[in-house]
Amino acid sequence: MKKRALSLAIACTMAVTALAGCSGGSKETTAATTEGTKAETKAAETTASAGGQTTLKWSVWDISSTTYYQPLIDAFEKAHPDVKIEMVDLGSTDYQTVLATELTGSGSDFDVVTVKDVPGYMTLVNKGVLEPLDSYIDSSKVDLAQYKGLTDQIKVENKLYELPFRNDFWVMFYNKDIFDKAGVAYPTNDMTFEQYDKLARSLTVDTPGQEVYGAHYHTWRSAVQLFGVLDGKNTIVDGKYDFLKPYYDMVLKEQEDGVCQDYATLKTSGLHYSGAFAQGNIAMMNMGTWFISTLMDKIRTGEYTDCKNWGIVKYPHAEGVEPGSTLATITSLAIPANAPHKDLAWEFINFASGKDGAEILASTGTIPAVMNSTVADLVSSADGFPKADGTSVEALNTAKLYLEMPVNAKSSEIETVLNEAHDAIMTGSMTADDGIAQMNEKISAILGK
Amino acid sequence: MKVKSTNNKISRSLLYVVLLILTAAMLVPFAWMLSASLKLDKDVFIFPIRWIPQNPRWMNYIDIWTKIPLMTFVGNTVKITLIVTFLQILTSSFAAYAFAKLKFKYKDTLFMAYIATIAVPWQVYMVPQFMMMRNFGLNDSHLAIIFLQAFSAFGVFMMRQFYQGIPDELCEAARIDGMSEYQIYSKIMLPLSKPALSTLTIFTFVNTWNDFLGPLIYLKTESKKTLQLGLKMFISQYSSEYGLIMAASVLSLIPVLIVFLSLQKYFVEGIAATGVKG
Amino acid sequence: MAKTITEAQKQEKIAALHEKRDALSLLLRDAKRTHERDSLIAKIETIDEKIKKVRTGEILTRQEKRNLVAYSFIAPNFIGFAIFTLGPIIFAFVLAFMRWDGNSPMKFVGLKNFIDMIGNARFHSSFVNTIVYCIATVPLTLASALGLAVVLNQKIKGRNFFRTVGFFPYVASLVAVAAVWNMLFSPQKSGPVNMILYNLGVHAKSLPKWSADPHWVMFTIVLFSVWKNMGYYMVIYLAGLQGINAELYEAAGLDGCNSWQRFRYITWPQLQPTTFFVTIILTINCFKVYDIVYMLAGGSNGIVSSQAMVLVYHIYEEAFRNWNLGYSSAVAMVLFLMVLAITLVQFRGEKKYAN
Repeated sequence: MKKRALSLAIACTMAVTALAGCSGGSKETTAATTEGTKAETKAAETTASAGGQTTLKWSVWDISSTTYYQPLIDAFEKAHPDVKIEMVDLGSTDYQTVLATELTGSGSDFDVVTVKDVPGYMTLVNKGVLEPLDSYIDSSKVDLAQYKGLTDQIKVENKLYELPFRNDFWVMFYNKDIFDKAGVAYPTNDMTFEQYDKLARSLTVDTPGQEVYGAHYHTWRSAVQLFGVLDGKNTIVDGKYDFLKPYYDMVLKEQEDGVCQDYATLKTSGLHYSGAFAQGNIAMMNMGTWFISTLMDKIRTGEYTDCKNWGIVKYPHAEGVEPGSTLATITSLAIPANAPHKDLAWEFINFASGKDGAEILASTGTIPAVMNSTVADLVSSADGFPKADGTSVEALNTAKLYLEMPVNAKSSEIETVLNEAHDAIMTGSMTADDGIAQMNEKISAILGK
Repeated sequence: MKVKSTNNKISRSLLYVVLLILTAAMLVPFAWMLSASLKLDKDVFIFPIRWIPQNPRWMNYIDIWTKIPLMTFVGNTVKITLIVTFLQILTSSFAAYAFAKLKFKYKDTLFMAYIATIAVPWQVYMVPQFMMMRNFGLNDSHLAIIFLQAFSAFGVFMMRQFYQGIPDELCEAARIDGMSEYQIYSKIMLPLSKPALSTLTIFTFVNTWNDFLGPLIYLKTESKKTLQLGLKMFISQYSSEYGLIMAASVLSLIPVLIVFLSLQKYFVEGIAATGVKG
Repeated sequence: MAKTITEAQKQEKIAALHEKRDALSLLLRDAKRTHERDSLIAKIETIDEKIKKVRTGEILTRQEKRNLVAYSFIAPNFIGFAIFTLGPIIFAFVLAFMRWDGNSPMKFVGLKNFIDMIGNARFHSSFVNTIVYCIATVPLTLASALGLAVVLNQKIKGRNFFRTVGFFPYVASLVAVAAVWNMLFSPQKSGPVNMILYNLGVHAKSLPKWSADPHWVMFTIVLFSVWKNMGYYMVIYLAGLQGINAELYEAAGLDGCNSWQRFRYITWPQLQPTTFFVTIILTINCFKVYDIVYMLAGGSNGIVSSQAMVLVYHIYEEAFRNWNLGYSSAVAMVLFLMVLAITLVQFRGEKKYAN
């Protein structure tokens, strides 16, 4: 017994020594490579200053699954042969956290940063790490009218710190097969909420094992709450939320009657909206236009087989409001306050957010911030879009766009309260009235601070 | 005598029954993971759970290697984990010896500094630490992660606890024999502490292997990223491809399992055979 | 120069030191409080060492040499630790009295961050939840880890297999196991666990919604964390059990002790140092809990309700969503003081036990 233990001990020591030798070696190599990269960067800098290439560093997320980055870069580099654009992928889930950390202090060397959402934008503006773009916009004579008022909504104290290049908006996706099977007419681009609710109920089947859900709401608060802002009378940062009541009542009733899936279940199972829609038992789902390219792609590769016949229609609207009002989620580009090459960075932003960039984005099935009839045609002619269906093409034309989260210095704190109350209402741990009362109270307190 | 042995038998079989139930409780989630890794995404969440997929999709295990540069990620993780584990074991067993067996000035103060930092969550000093590392030029390098993980207070604390269990007489005797402290450490303490060392190895290995937030903040170049980042990248980019996510999870489990299995032997035979008994 | 002092100088120095020593001895005679006496005795001992040093002409006293050897042991770890962990932590603590968002200049605000905390409802619920979580998790984990370790320390068939299984949840990637767990504890009536409860006679309407249920969410989190971490502490206990002298059990066997008595009078007391270690680490880890809560109660949209909020989540939210680095450091300080208090109490206990 003892002998065996001894030999084991020897083996262990040997293993440790071997490990030590090996890892020590690889550590040296790390050091060497780091040195090497440093030297290279230095060399690159020297050549740049000597009139060679300048490298712009651009922060993005999901390089490999996003189709428009490379075409944008190619087009820009073609027009500026002395500029190279290097993308840095900060990952999508924690993008804003990582970006804010990266821009903290003064050591960052990003030239262009992508800003994912409004709370994230406000965080960066509050931290004072973004360069105001107004002087650049003036000197390049950019016509802000092409953004249809979006840029006015993201001004902070009359200054603009980002320029949108993508503008996704929410539409209603539907599965034609379910409508055909039930013998119900497809939804139209002009539905009131009442009609929408009725339609969803008429499609619902609650036979165990063959359930069909008339509607589907993803677990984001925007999927329910923001029905309420579409009449333009209220915003989500006013501190008064009683206008949300009818919409919560509608969705909670649907949930109770099995018209849509239970929020609590969706939340804990982590079912992604694309997975839900792909199961082929959801008639209608409200979602952003970013889902279009995913859907087309997955159907093309043969992965989604149960939702091949899909279409989109405009968002339902409240009585007496023009159809086509919907929510917008903008993605923008900005210049950090201590970017090394600000002028070149601006040129890239101006290009990507302008008409030329818009056409490149549109041809990949992405909705750009600058929308006109040429661009809309490009999107709807993308491979896999239900072109034959005039309603779906028409659904891409929007009337009025409201930001999911308007600009407010307290955006991120308000967001937290709204999310929490939404969660409490939807899981049934609070009634809609109590939840709304909580929002009223807490957000007034935040705004009053 | 006979009564006793029947009693023994009953309690023994009861023990096995309890153990088997416990094992089942432990294993159910992993069985689900394995079964999900062989399914199409849309079948993963179907109720009631079908444990053995009708058409096992082995493709999932091939696809993940091509969808993301998994090989690079695994290589990076292995490299970081080995270096961190080695440094951690070496430096903390070294320091712990002083804390457990030597008398010196400021001993309690220094040890309190270690203990105190165990109590501070990393999220608290993440930002100052990041700014400091960046000033050292360590942003986007593996060295940052290594420095971050290798000198943890936990290792020192744990090794000290184990050393304290070893009788002081052993060291005293060696000192009288004229051994220097370094010799006592390497010839007496190290061989004795194999069980503790293997425990620490397992913990360090697991922690480094599964660390997510650290690499997320520090590593940006794709060729430098680790396996956990890869997993997460997967989840966000192919958000609904649960089958692939589970396949990747299963793969990421294997190395940790191997380390545990190979070191487990030392737990069993470790102390019993190392001469503590005299 | 110092080395070539004359014999006379040496004597002079020794005399001076002796004078000091005598003065201290006089003080010592009058001192009444123990800690005063202790410090005086220590001072006298240092002087004695110095006298010896001068007499023998050595550069370092024996104690100084010993110190140096000890420091050489600590240095490799301590240098890295001081730079990469201790430094940032001290900086973070200074921040607790500042207002800072990482970019604009820091502003000293005194205790304002702590006062803000008192009025913050999210802080309140996270504080209470953290305590509840600790009180529930620590004893449960400790007991199950110890039980498992004792059972798996016996000579039974497939021991290694069972050990591995017990350790398995700990090594598994949290993302994956949390997803599985949420499936099993699905809030639906048709969820696997709920189905079992239903068949056991629980009324369909009173079936819990687990992590989506405000009354059950903490219970679910505790259950999960015991399941996930038990193996970790089991391994520490196993190592501790291996260290118990087998002769003790043999003697007990001769005295006719049953298994419970063996556990009560040998295993448990012999495991005291291990239990101390496990309790500290466990308590600290419980106070630091973050990811389990996030993964289980946060679900797919990351919204953690006020029934599941914990301190570290509050810290994270304030630091990285709102960039109130000062405030979040202040919360961290509170967390730190709580853990420190517990650690000190346990430290005292250990010292008492050791004596």
